Amino acid sequence: MTLLRTLAGFTLALTVAVFLGYVYTLSSTARDAIRALNTLVQSVSVLVWIIVFLMLFGVFSPLPPILVAAAVAFPILLSSIVAGLESTSRRLVELAVMLRAPRWRLYPDFLLPSLLPGLAGAARAALGAALRISVVAEAMGASGGIGYMIENYYSLAEPRGVFAWGLLLVALMVVLDQLILARLEGWVKEWATMQR
Amino acid sequence: MGYNAAVIEGRCITKSYGGRLVLDCVSVRADRGELVAVVGPNGSGKTTLLRILAGLEEPDSGAVIRRGSITMVFQENLLLPWRSLRDNIMLGLRYSGLPKREALRRVEWAARLLGIEEHLDKKPGEVSGGTARKAAIARMLVLNPDILLLDEPLAGLDVSSRLSLLRTLNNLRSDGRSIIFVDHNIADVASVADRVYLLTPAPARVSAVVELAGLPREERLRKLVRALEG
Repeated sequence: MTLLRTLAGFTLALTVAVFLGYVYTLSSTARDAIRALNTLVQSVSVLVWIIVFLMLFGVFSPLPPILVAAAVAFPILLSSIVAGLESTSRRLVELAVMLRAPRWRLYPDFLLPSLLPGLAGAARAALGAALRISVVAEAMGASGGIGYMIENYYSLAEPRGVFAWGLLLVALMVVLDQLILARLEGWVKEWATMQR
Repeated sequence: MGYNAAVIEGRCITKSYGGRLVLDCVSVRADRGELVAVVGPNGSGKTTLLRILAGLEEPDSGAVIRRGSITMVFQENLLLPWRSLRDNIMLGLRYSGLPKREALRRVEWAARLLGIEEHLDKKPGEVSGGTARKAAIARMLVLNPDILLLDEPLAGLDVSSRLSLLRTLNNLRSDGRSIIFVDHNIADVASVADRVYLLTPAPARVSAVVELAGLPREERLRKLVRALEG
């Protein structure tokens, strides 16, 4: 349950961040707006996100942990995309011009794939952070998941239960990071690193 | 060929960056079917000149007249590593609306011309620098431009790749295409160019225009060296 919620939040954040990356390439006004949005989202405490989403959707809704995971992952992903776009070789844009690519194809065909090595690393960090924080959101108000169980055993003064679920969270993160994300990151870097 | 036949012409192009003059009234031209070389020391603004001719940058003053489609092969190959050479070469054709069968046929043609047909299914990371360079040229060639600009196309290539690419450039000129390329190697330039523009160190001016078309092989190099020395 925790992992599914985290993945849902992460997917939401990734989708919005990738779309905003496209918007970022459209104009200097869009660039300024997205930089400001990124700073704003980064400035909001996770505690504030948790409380706001709990107040909006209630403690029994599955949405708060999902949205908190998204809010945590989003600035990490968007920062990576923005940094990647700012450091992208100007030659890549000029190559698209010389190949007579329509403006709207620049991002999906040339820029986004070249951002993937950096984005893969950021995604790994973002997913780890989202998983850790969504557990907190579950503890503060949810009807299931690792965070809920830890909170439950804490209320019952059962330290063994707290440790067991805590260890399960650690195991989940290690498996996710080392068996899936690290391999995925390595594969993407090999796939998309530009030769000179 | 007469002056009026120029397919591309840069007239007194001047360009500065941050108050530093890079190009000082540089004029170049290429007629239909001409292979023109620009030679100058490092940092003399050769790439800037090509970029202005290609329309990637605006000159501070002067004019560029293009009478046909133009494209430029950059000094870096910029092959997309996630695509095969075939897909890299076909990339521009995807935007042209050409039917896929015709696009593939044109890719095969360019690959044969450049001698890289057996590498088409490989990724850029799996081929030599020379093959990657030829793929980068093929990618622009399939667009069938009237004017082809090449920024140091021979840089970093071994002798056999250089010779093969020089032969290809020679063939392309025979197709009626106008080519302007930048290079350092005087012997290579002398072996194929119809006209050579010699640039001074920055701020670049044209120090000499050397006409080589129609001259015998040994005379071409002698004439170019004389112009460089004098």
